[in-house]
Amino acid sequence: MPSLPLLLSQAFNGLALGTLLALVSSGLTIILGTLGVLNFAHGALFMVGAYAIFVVAAATGSFVVGLLVGAVIMLAVGVMLERVLIRFFYDRPHEDQILVTFGAAIVIVEAVRAVFGGESQRVAAPDWGGGVTQLGFLIYPTYRLELIGIVAALLFALYVVLYRTSIGLVVRAGIEDARTVGILGINVRRAFLLVFAIGVVAAGVAGMLYAPIVSVDPDMGATFMVESFVVIVIGGLGSYPGAVVGGLIAGEILSITSAFNAAYSEVMLYAVMALLLVVRPQGLLGSEGRV
Amino acid sequence: MNTSLLELDRVNTYYGDSHILFDVSLHVRRHEVVALLGRNGAGKTTTLRTIMGVLSPRRGRIRLGGKPIEHLPSYAIARMGLQLVPEERAIFGQLTVEENLKLAALTAPQAWPLDRVYAFFPRLKERRRSGGKQLSGGEQQMLAIARALIRDAQVILLDEPFEGLAPLILRDLVRVSRELAEQGRTILLVEQNVVAALSFSDRVYVLNNGHIVWEGTPHELRSDPALMKAHLGV
Amino acid sequence: MTPATAVPELLLAVVLIAAPFTLPYAGGSIDMLQRILDWGIIGLGFDLLFGATGLLSFGQAAFYGTGGFVAAYLLVNNVIGSVWLALLIGTGLGGLFGLFVGVLAVRRIGIYFAMITLAFGQMAYFLENSPLSAYTGGENGLPGVPVPTIGGMRIEPGIPLYWVLAAIFFAGFVLARRILHSPFGAILRAIKENALRTGLVGHSVPAYKLAVFVIAALYAALAGGLLGVFQGYMPPDAFALDTSGQLVVQTIIGGVGTLIGPTVGATVWLYLHDNLQLIPGVGALWRLILGLIFVGLVVGLRRGIAGQIGAWLQRRMSVVERPDDAAPVDAPREPAMALPMIAPLSRADADAPALCAIELSKHYGGLHAVEHVSFSVREGSIHGVIGPNGAGKSTLFKLLKDEVPPTSGEVRLFGRRITGLGPARTAQLGIAKSNQLNQLFLELTVRQNLRIAALARSRGTFRLDLLRAAGSIPAVERQIEAVLDTMGLAHHADAPVHVLPYGEKRRTEIGIALATGPNVLLLDEPLAGMSPAERVTTRALIRELAQSRTLVIVEHDMDAVFELAERITVLYDGRLLADGAPEQISRDQSVQDAYLGGLHEYEPA
Repeated sequence: MPSLPLLLSQAFNGLALGTLLALVSSGLTIILGTLGVLNFAHGALFMVGAYAIFVVAAATGSFVVGLLVGAVIMLAVGVMLERVLIRFFYDRPHEDQILVTFGAAIVIVEAVRAVFGGESQRVAAPDWGGGVTQLGFLIYPTYRLELIGIVAALLFALYVVLYRTSIGLVVRAGIEDARTVGILGINVRRAFLLVFAIGVVAAGVAGMLYAPIVSVDPDMGATFMVESFVVIVIGGLGSYPGAVVGGLIAGEILSITSAFNAAYSEVMLYAVMALLLVVRPQGLLGSEGRV
Repeated sequence: MNTSLLELDRVNTYYGDSHILFDVSLHVRRHEVVALLGRNGAGKTTTLRTIMGVLSPRRGRIRLGGKPIEHLPSYAIARMGLQLVPEERAIFGQLTVEENLKLAALTAPQAWPLDRVYAFFPRLKERRRSGGKQLSGGEQQMLAIARALIRDAQVILLDEPFEGLAPLILRDLVRVSRELAEQGRTILLVEQNVVAALSFSDRVYVLNNGHIVWEGTPHELRSDPALMKAHLGV
Repeated sequence: MTPATAVPELLLAVVLIAAPFTLPYAGGSIDMLQRILDWGIIGLGFDLLFGATGLLSFGQAAFYGTGGFVAAYLLVNNVIGSVWLALLIGTGLGGLFGLFVGVLAVRRIGIYFAMITLAFGQMAYFLENSPLSAYTGGENGLPGVPVPTIGGMRIEPGIPLYWVLAAIFFAGFVLARRILHSPFGAILRAIKENALRTGLVGHSVPAYKLAVFVIAALYAALAGGLLGVFQGYMPPDAFALDTSGQLVVQTIIGGVGTLIGPTVGATVWLYLHDNLQLIPGVGALWRLILGLIFVGLVVGLRRGIAGQIGAWLQRRMSVVERPDDAAPVDAPREPAMALPMIAPLSRADADAPALCAIELSKHYGGLHAVEHVSFSVREGSIHGVIGPNGAGKSTLFKLLKDEVPPTSGEVRLFGRRITGLGPARTAQLGIAKSNQLNQLFLELTVRQNLRIAALARSRGTFRLDLLRAAGSIPAVERQIEAVLDTMGLAHHADAPVHVLPYGEKRRTEIGIALATGPNVLLLDEPLAGMSPAERVTTRALIRELAQSRTLVIVEHDMDAVFELAERITVLYDGRLLADGAPEQISRDQSVQDAYLGGLHEYEPA
């Protein structure tokens, strides 16, 4: 039985990991819900975010500037990917969409590898994130606490956009019935572009924030992507609240299990997913009939 | 000047290989209520969907206020002032009543203020915060029509608004339709419920197996029971 | 698909024999050949899964790794001495794992299926890496896998082991081809085209999907075991996501649905991998180049190398004429062969009506689509169902065939309750339906469309007949000929359905239902979209069909219904409004009111 400080520390790690997973998965789920496309390139875009901040932070010396410029870079990448490739696949079968995003992922990963090489890079945590913080009897890395705060703020911002703005209204309606949105005078295809871009930015920003905690290499996105698939299955396809809840649950499962036995942490997550598929296939917050 | 606001000229629509509409021609003048009647399978819904750009005609022309619209996408046609109230109503169940209305108003150049819509449909005001999927059939139908009203649509296409409604709601809805007609809205109404449709329309077309087979006034139609039975009855 | 000839097998044999002598001169090596063949073996199973059935799995590595590590573990730890036995056990356990994953995965389609297989592949990888690392060697893998022996003689690595691998691959290819051309294979392809219709005519789609998933797992597990053997070492990355992904890429590049495609793709991949790496400057970019080619293929060609060659060959060898739209409609004639109708399987009650609805209701939330409907259909009669839009006719038909479960009430077929059996089982019992909107297998020929239906009742909801040819069951072929004749489709029997004019597509639609040899035939708007001439022919056909079976028809063409039906049921607002002979119905005022508008309360005062 692991000690209380360890469990607590892992619980916080779970929160950090969980909020990041929630952010990545939110992007994945709104793209899936609105466009109907399962984006197999999502992990690669997460990785691009990490490299973006690696480059910009190194060049400017500022993590914050890196975040901002990186977000703009991700926006450009998302727009380009949608315009050049994705938008031709909206009417093609799901398998084709999966294949083309999978192929795009390969190209993106290999292009990054060609430019930066395959060795892992380090991204330094920002100055305001160094050191540790005392939380009662627990000593915890400051950056991770700040990360939880930042991502929570971003998730809240995404919530505000989705539920309190006109564009969010269009997205939520589009997830349900894109054709009727068109009949009401809204150019849905243009909304698709925006949704895809938001999803890509979400993945990329998560990668940027995650970068100081891990080693950055071209293949870092693969595991995160599969985990985000599991998250949206747990939370429910196309559901933003589901992605948030699912992400937090997944993060905690991974972290707390590893406090007991590190070898089983990943396996536990997949086992939970399998169980849910049997018991409640539409996910915790998903709607029936999407299966 | 009472020229045609909406005009169909020998429109032919196909579903894949299946030829549904055969040289369909009709016109609707400003402030008119025109009913398009026929049994189901006749092609009435297909006609409205073709006008709204959900389907593309293989041959023929459609004009709104003189401008051709037959190959425009739906959203462009909606912005020109045409609004379809679909047969299946297509309410967004995940959005509230008020959100449904706000969404509809987004791209309307002269959207009605919410209060004006609620004045028309007091029941919707009571249910403004309810989710779309919690509404009854009749309330959903009202919401669907309200979405067209809030856009201040020039021409409203009503697809079987009276289908599947309980008698009390039906009466309400016919009253609303009559009010809209009296206010001078231009309406193209597709219906199977002949009696309800005839009670407030100015002119009637009858569609049979994709062909327009008759055109006239409600009075003329009512006075010819053999005609009614042949094309509409049993 | 053209009947199987032995040409591909011969060609393959020649290539396999020539390869070890020629490839080394072109930059290959025996080791590369062996790796290609190993990928080819997984690919055979994967192409049956994805190419034939349309199921895109990203988790084949799970079974590849299982087969490989089980076999390797048994051999390295001297639990089993015989390499062949270890391979057998590894393959078997891999198949078992496939059964487990398959049960969870095959009930889902498209996106969910890909995600579930991906997730299980990853789970297997993590299991192998940590918790089970005592058995699998964790990150180091398992070295020291011995070579097999035949009759006491060791088979050395290199060319001798290559011959073994080539022989296994060849056998695997022959088997896969047999499977593809068997009735089982025909149903797999039907599932890819239109899974819904495949189930409606009487096949258990989930059972077939599960079977092909296990077959693919078995192939993958065998390949995994062989990997350990010819390398003498079982690497940990056998389980990795990359492995599953590489398989997908190779299959697309080589050509989906060709069986040999994955092998061709593996050749391209490994050749580039081994040779490009040596070129300075280009070296690291070979995967990028391959990725771009892959994307290009998905966007554009989608047939891959082998597929493109295959299509080119087919075009040269056959002339595909496009029937012209003005083709004359065949007049109805007495069928040269009587249309066989399989007798009802069980009759609970000899006097029971053919079909009987008892207090059927179907509620969708607050919407009462069908409400307490009861009526019965006399055997051998034509029974019409009419009613205005929204009356519930389509829902009623779905209930009659048990496509959806009723909220209450039941349906009886010849006295036997069929509610709760599902559409495939009811089809097996003798009730078939033709749809208002065509549900055809568009890429298959008319004959193949009918065969899918005709195979149903003679084989039950599921049969694992992998080795016989699809067209080799005489009773089935006779049934197909009879239907072609009756429906006037004989002259276009071997044209793919998607090139046919609408009227013939419609006749194929009805023909599919007919080919199941039903006792009760439900026709949903059979005349929809037909020209006046076609209506005349079809009405005659309906009358003819009624001489040997019971028909229930939904129609809006009132003339047709009143002419044909012995009895008419009228639905309004989900309820039964009237039920009786045509003359009664046409005199019934409430029916007239229903059609014309019923309620008079809002008539202008």
